[in-house]
Amino acid sequence: MSCIKLLYEYSRGMSQVRPVGSDLVMFENALQFIGAFVAFSIALVAYKGVRETSSSSMLRLAAAFVFLGSGFVLQGLDGVGAFSSIPGLAVSVATILIAGMFLQTVGYFFLAFSHVLDVVVSRRLGPLLILFPIFAISPTSVETVLRSLSFYFILYGVLETALSYSKNRNPNTLMIATGLGMLAAGWWVSLAAPDIGLLTLLQLLMREVGLVALFVPVLRFSFRKPGEILNAPV
Amino acid sequence: MPQYRTQGKIIADILATARDMNTDGQGVGITTLLRRGNVSYSRMTKLIVELVGAGLLLEETMERACKYRISDKGMMFLQAYVQFEDFAQSYGLRL
Repeated sequence: MSCIKLLYEYSRGMSQVRPVGSDLVMFENALQFIGAFVAFSIALVAYKGVRETSSSSMLRLAAAFVFLGSGFVLQGLDGVGAFSSIPGLAVSVATILIAGMFLQTVGYFFLAFSHVLDVVVSRRLGPLLILFPIFAISPTSVETVLRSLSFYFILYGVLETALSYSKNRNPNTLMIATGLGMLAAGWWVSLAAPDIGLLTLLQLLMREVGLVALFVPVLRFSFRKPGEILNAPV
Repeated sequence: MPQYRTQGKIIADILATARDMNTDGQGVGITTLLRRGNVSYSRMTKLIVELVGAGLLLEETMERACKYRISDKGMMFLQAYVQFEDFAQSYGLRL
């Protein structure tokens, strides 16, 4: 069932259609693999950047998205039941899920960490990165802690990217800030209301839009004409 | 607070100067590189030695002074720099 139809059914309050279970899980799994594709694409371009310019910013960006992509893959495989079908691995599915979330959190940390080292304004905002997790840690579960940390790291990334936009006025930067903002909003909804069907769908859609926005610079990079950059000002 | 240039940006500025100011095809002098590159003489001389050594700049000794031209490898570096700078800027980073 398509997402538009799902939203329509929900908005009409039709009780006979309740696709909260399997459809949403399928959509979430698909989202994990889309996320992995986007993350690895960004990591690939960033890695090319490391090779050609030896830039440490590109290295951190590549590392961030490799971790994020790996996290997405683990969670996606777990979601489709790939691990539960293997006898030896079946018992450790929860561990794999946590490992996937941990990798994602590390990825988001690297993304935030890149800004701390890169942007001069970070000298003022950097300490916030240390303060945020103090509020995030709760005794509920490892999953909640990882989700909270991811949320704060994305939020920090949004803040720094928005500040970068205020300086360079590059529309792509605004798009990335918006994309990260959508991801952060999605995370926040998933933290605040994890089991409410409509909100689950909403947070999945927000994360989807966020991922698509993150992918735009990769498309621009891939389809840029050589003539555009031959005599471009530095 | 001033925004300091990274080493990569300084190198790109020097290479871009060598590319853009070489109007007569004979290369540019160190004075032009200094003025446009906006670095001190001692740092510029060190950078030029590194860039010539890496094959990004070509050094040509004239009667009275050395002239510098950007090499094909330098042009490729500059193109890659421009591309990746835009990419990094999209994510709010500096190359």
